[in-house]
Amino acid sequence: MIEIQALNGNLGGFRLQDIDLTVNDGEYMVLLGPTGAGKTVLIEYIVGMYKQDRGAILIDGQDVTPLYTEERNIAYVPQDYALFPNLNVEKNIAYGLEARRLPKEEISRITEETIANLGIGYIRHRMPLNLSGGEKQRVALGRALATGPKVVLLDEPLSALDENLRAIMSHELRALQRKTHATFIHVCHNFEEAAAVADRIAIMNEGRLVQIDTLEAVKANPQNEFVARFLKTQNVFEAVSDGKTIKGNGIVLNKKNPLTGTVIAGIRPEHVRLQSENRIGETNTFAGHIVDIVPKPHFIEYRLDVGMELTAFLIGDVPYGPGDAVCVELPAEHLILTGKN
Amino acid sequence: MSGNPPTMAGTRSATGDRTIFKSFFYSFTGFMFLFSAYLFLSNLDQLVVTEAAIKTREITSWGEDREVMNMFAGGFWRDAYFWKSLNLTLMVPVITTLIASLVGIPTAYALSRYRIPGKAAIEVLFSSVMVIPASSVGLCLIVMFNYGPFWNLQQQLGFRFAHSIFPGMILASFVLSFALGLSAWKAAFDGVNPRFEHVARSLGSSRWRAFRTVTLPISKSGLVAGVILAWTRAMAEFGAVLFFCGTFRELPPARFSDLEKVLHIDQADFLSVAIWAQIEYGNVEYGFALAFILVIIGGLSVYAMHRIGAKGYIW
Repeated sequence: MIEIQALNGNLGGFRLQDIDLTVNDGEYMVLLGPTGAGKTVLIEYIVGMYKQDRGAILIDGQDVTPLYTEERNIAYVPQDYALFPNLNVEKNIAYGLEARRLPKEEISRITEETIANLGIGYIRHRMPLNLSGGEKQRVALGRALATGPKVVLLDEPLSALDENLRAIMSHELRALQRKTHATFIHVCHNFEEAAAVADRIAIMNEGRLVQIDTLEAVKANPQNEFVARFLKTQNVFEAVSDGKTIKGNGIVLNKKNPLTGTVIAGIRPEHVRLQSENRIGETNTFAGHIVDIVPKPHFIEYRLDVGMELTAFLIGDVPYGPGDAVCVELPAEHLILTGKN
Repeated sequence: MSGNPPTMAGTRSATGDRTIFKSFFYSFTGFMFLFSAYLFLSNLDQLVVTEAAIKTREITSWGEDREVMNMFAGGFWRDAYFWKSLNLTLMVPVITTLIASLVGIPTAYALSRYRIPGKAAIEVLFSSVMVIPASSVGLCLIVMFNYGPFWNLQQQLGFRFAHSIFPGMILASFVLSFALGLSAWKAAFDGVNPRFEHVARSLGSSRWRAFRTVTLPISKSGLVAGVILAWTRAMAEFGAVLFFCGTFRELPPARFSDLEKVLHIDQADFLSVAIWAQIEYGNVEYGFALAFILVIIGGLSVYAMHRIGAKGYIW
């Protein structure tokens, strides 16, 4: 288990502020946030690259902040994989085992097992320069996991891969984590990537942790406007709530809620429904028209005007075209309400 | 697969460009070498040493008998002066480069990896040494070592750097070769992503093992190139040595240290200084012959640097 307690660090131009995070044994935690949020810096503090100003990092109850990197028993896979260019694949994988001065037979056995598990036997004698992105990623993972670490830190491990390979590798990562029972912390800025692997996500912005929870919980109850927008809620607007109704952008929505005053309201595009026109006037339904239709690989994106602009994602054929009048329903159960930042 | 033809065409084109460049490079180098050899060999008939010339080695002052001096027209390989100069040209730079490497490589690593107070000042200082005239460096050294605390320290220790042969030559050439080597070594370390070391340490390597097994092999070619550059700079040094040490053929033997006597060093004449001295004394052919030797040594050094420098890792 990793416990980060009130971690504060100053790297000159960037500050990490009051980071409190607990990652349970065998948990797959994804650090999610935009570029410059401080995700990589947090990982680097765990690795031991920097000395913190305040706070502590505990691994299995032991404060590791006074320890050197090599004493922390963590595996670190940086964004560019950092495969040692002077060593071939096999020697890269064996590197950590040799550093631990294991017997030669043991090094050979573990290296063979790792190579077999990752299916990279065909590249075992190749130098890193001659590997593809996916192969590099597998070798970097193999090198990290060969030492049997309790904690694996992955810094944007899939960002260098194409979309198809990213999907395959995210499944492999998840399977590896399940198999090794190691605690994974995975940094990324991609919502879909996080959804594919995470048990829980921790959202970061401007050097702070903003929200930590399961993906579903964060989607349903984003802590603030930043989280809502970052998780692609898209239909986000400022409104005024009196606890029963939410008024803003020319529409009135009904939903009982504990907030009063100025709030941020939103609804995810996949929850916006198009109904037949005769339902206009029912709760949370509005007359509008279709501004544009954009076909996407797995759904169709509708841009709507109901007095404010909305986006809806619908699956399958819908008998409307641009300019058609429609009835738009924003179901109360899917309305997201949060206080202003 | 549709992307293959242009890629292959690009590869062929790049290979063709490299071939043209290499052909031009080798042709130019070959021409320069042959031209130098021609100039050297065409004067060979003048480079025959005479009894009178050998006697000139006995004189204590080069300016004492210019007529006899002017009779001397070469035979440099039979002249002890040449061998002493060559000896100095090879020996002093080796010692200088050894010291510069031992001090410079760790310094370059520290400058490359750590936030050090005064880092910018150190870099500016040694970069300046590379661009200001070497004679100015020699004068600066004279001012530094002939006055003030350094002078007092030398007095207490019983030796002197300025106007000495062995320590003076090493110090003067050290300053310049260190500056050049430092920039090359720092560039070599700057070219190695520090992440390699972080990853190596996260895998259980100590800081030293990470350096030895990862950083050092990756930066090896750059470091060796730096060593050769430092050696070449020390070997070809002229201005700083001339100003800081001078030429000491007039000095009485008592002025030479025991070490210098053991090593038969009684002059501060690198080949580069010797060239100047010979031409000043009117022995143009002698100077030219020495220059040719220096060109060969320098050319071989630069060739070695290119050979080694080309073996860098790409990542």
